[in-house]
Amino acid sequence: MKNPIKKLFDDSAHLFTGDGKYKKYEPVWDATKTFFFLPSPKTGVMPFIRDSLDLKRYMSFVILALLPVTLFGIYNTGFQSGRAAGEAYSILKCFMVGAWYVLPMIIVSYGVGFIWEFIFAVFRRHKISEGFLVTGLLFPLTLPPTIPLWQVALGISFGVVIGKEVFGGTGRNILNPALTARAFVFFSYPVSMSGDIWIAGKTMVDGITGATALSVTGFEGQAIGSALSEAGYPLSSLFYGLIPGSVGETSALCCLIGAAILMVTRIANYRIIIGGITGVIATSILIWLIPGGTETWANAGPLYHLFAGGFLFGISFMATDPVSAPGTNPGRWIFGFLIGFLTVVIRVANPAFMEGAMLAILFMNVFAPLLDHLVIKYKTSKRIPNV
Amino acid sequence: MEKLKISRGFTPKLTGKPDMSLIRLPFPSTIGCSAGDIPFIRPKLLVKEGQSVKTGTPLFTDKRDTSIQYVSPATGKVKKILFGERRRLLEVIIEPDTQDEFIQFDPISEATLAQMEKADLVDRLKQGGLWQGLRQFPAKDTAEPDHTPAMIIVSLNGNDIFSPHPAVVLKENMDAFLTGLALLRRFSHRLVITAREDCLDDLQNLSPDMGGLITHVTDTAYPAWNPGAVLYQLKETQAENSSWCISLAHLVMMGQFLMTGHYPVDKIITATRGEYNRPHILIRQGAPVNTLTAPAAPGGMVTTGRFNGRILDPVTHLGFFENTLNIIDGAPEDEMFGFVRPGLGKPTVSATFLSSLFKKPAQMDCTLHGEPRACINCSYCERICPNDLLPSFIMKALHADEIEEALELGLLDCCQCGLCAYTCPSKIELAKILADGMDSHYKDSQYKD
Ligand code: SF4
Ligand code: SF4
Repeated sequence: MKNPIKKLFDDSAHLFTGDGKYKKYEPVWDATKTFFFLPSPKTGVMPFIRDSLDLKRYMSFVILALLPVTLFGIYNTGFQSGRAAGEAYSILKCFMVGAWYVLPMIIVSYGVGFIWEFIFAVFRRHKISEGFLVTGLLFPLTLPPTIPLWQVALGISFGVVIGKEVFGGTGRNILNPALTARAFVFFSYPVSMSGDIWIAGKTMVDGITGATALSVTGFEGQAIGSALSEAGYPLSSLFYGLIPGSVGETSALCCLIGAAILMVTRIANYRIIIGGITGVIATSILIWLIPGGTETWANAGPLYHLFAGGFLFGISFMATDPVSAPGTNPGRWIFGFLIGFLTVVIRVANPAFMEGAMLAILFMNVFAPLLDHLVIKYKTSKRIPNV
Repeated sequence: MEKLKISRGFTPKLTGKPDMSLIRLPFPSTIGCSAGDIPFIRPKLLVKEGQSVKTGTPLFTDKRDTSIQYVSPATGKVKKILFGERRRLLEVIIEPDTQDEFIQFDPISEATLAQMEKADLVDRLKQGGLWQGLRQFPAKDTAEPDHTPAMIIVSLNGNDIFSPHPAVVLKENMDAFLTGLALLRRFSHRLVITAREDCLDDLQNLSPDMGGLITHVTDTAYPAWNPGAVLYQLKETQAENSSWCISLAHLVMMGQFLMTGHYPVDKIITATRGEYNRPHILIRQGAPVNTLTAPAAPGGMVTTGRFNGRILDPVTHLGFFENTLNIIDGAPEDEMFGFVRPGLGKPTVSATFLSSLFKKPAQMDCTLHGEPRACINCSYCERICPNDLLPSFIMKALHADEIEEALELGLLDCCQCGLCAYTCPSKIELAKILADGMDSHYKDSQYKD
């Protein structure tokens, strides 16, 4: 018997294709259909056999890699909210409260972003790209759970339209769209993005602030390490992630799991991730060796720099977006390394502007074509010319 | 014997390897001389429908050099001349008689071969319809007779993974092979004779001399034995860019032609399908495709190689350069939730299917496994290219009409192995785009001088 869903699509095909009544909505119909049934047109030219990997599966693996941080983010949002209320929520309650805050953000992000995707797909007559599945989830994960939903909507609109579509759509964008969205919100609505905003909940019991680890500094000669421990951010908490922060980026462990999934399946290029981590370690050791400044992040050492803030999230999921990263391998090493380097430098040099990872990645996005250009110049000079 | 390694490349684990036995198929009822597989040629017909021809009678020639002839592989009547779009010649179809009547030349012994004028040798090969077996890089057009190539590459293995095994081809033809090599020595000081590592034992069992003749053994990873990939590994100077290459089959034919004085009509091919291990097939040149293989299932196709070559209409005839047939079936139907299936039986370069954990050979179909999308800069194509190219960058340069840039990026080093398009998750036709770019540049440069 024919699959009933298949039948539904086959029966409705005439409405959406050719001269159909709803021809305008073909991209949506097509996107839904291909979601259910992987299309497999015949090869027309050589090679006549093709690899099984396609862009849908490619992007599904990014989503899969994002699942640990997403689930943990939901749990942690609930957990922090319970902590702020002075109660210890059960695991289930943590998830439920977390979902109450986080799911609407994700839904708004996907919903609004999808509308834009659709408008441009109709306008430009192209297929809806799977890339948006990733952007739409990445963006809310970089936000504080307290963000107003209209800002989520505005942010994702900016990210999709200005970050991607004005460049010509998926594959042509220079900046990572999710980061562009995040940067837009960060600069347009700074109040929603900094300060004691990282815990969702109505009441705050004494002694609990909604600030992130990166805003901690020691005072009067107190070393940064002990200051962090005192503020409730020992290294282990930073690693596991039960701390206030953006929804998806608090747990270094979950980010590393995601990074491992991406690297093992070769969806992300390991050079960017390893290069970035090396950059953070090398730079933070170098700065740490400079005497003085024990109470600032200059003295935090490599592990704190790695685990605090959004660096691991950024380097695993944002910097590895292949479109906005360099396309050559040496370029990827340099790209990753410089993101690590800049992240630490921004954190140390500019305490007013602690989250360096986001800016570092956006900045390096801009330079990615230049890196490629230099690598290719060098590579072609090594070739035996054939003209 | 030197070992040649390509830097990347990839061999999917495929079923259907032909076995080493050889069967002879009966004489077909039509014989075709196809122009479909000959690159760059501008054919000019020399015969009319109804005309009688002998084996070795020229049927058409190349307008660019009318001394290069394509000759009839059978004796009989011209039954039909088939044209394609814009009246481009596709095939000349012969209705064969039972007896061959050959156009006869004087046989040439190895000793005479060494003394003959080079120009006379070239003429003889042209008249015999075999000169075009020699091809010149980078575009692999018919070799220019006046050119002295820095090297001639003889690849004993064909273009496909399951092309005829060189030991099967050489079994009865060692003498012709040696004569052919003596001929090539008249054209270049350097002969590069390559064999794939997994064929070496069989070749050495055939003749102990083989070890001395083979200059390079290549990787078994596709396409290490492709002459273009070999050239890329070997070349050191710019002059070597215009080297020549020839396939084993054509070299043997040249040897046979010189020894016997008439056009060699037999050919050994493989016809592979799915999981059947079939024998090699001995047939007449230009046999019709449908006598060589069963038709492909609906949705499938018959091609002359998995990674490159062309799609064959079953009623047409096998061309001069072709000796591999693949029957590739289509996928049963669109898969529900295809993108999240574990994919045990789905061959892949990536590590996103469970199949990548196991070494079981798979049967591949001729579907794209996805839909075309924009390039996402993922570098899968670069990761697999045997000749260290950046296919996506070349593709973008070509799309922007930046031919100079594409050339600088090494467009002419592409050996058209098809791997880049094989692997691209965005299903971009890289190999075709690059091949077209190379061809149009080559045609332009031909008209310039
Ligand atoms: S494999 Fe395809 S999508 Fe990836 S870089 Fe190459 S052309 Fe672009
Ligand atoms: S560019 Fe593509 S077709 Fe050309 S050699 Fe590289 S992989 Fe093969």
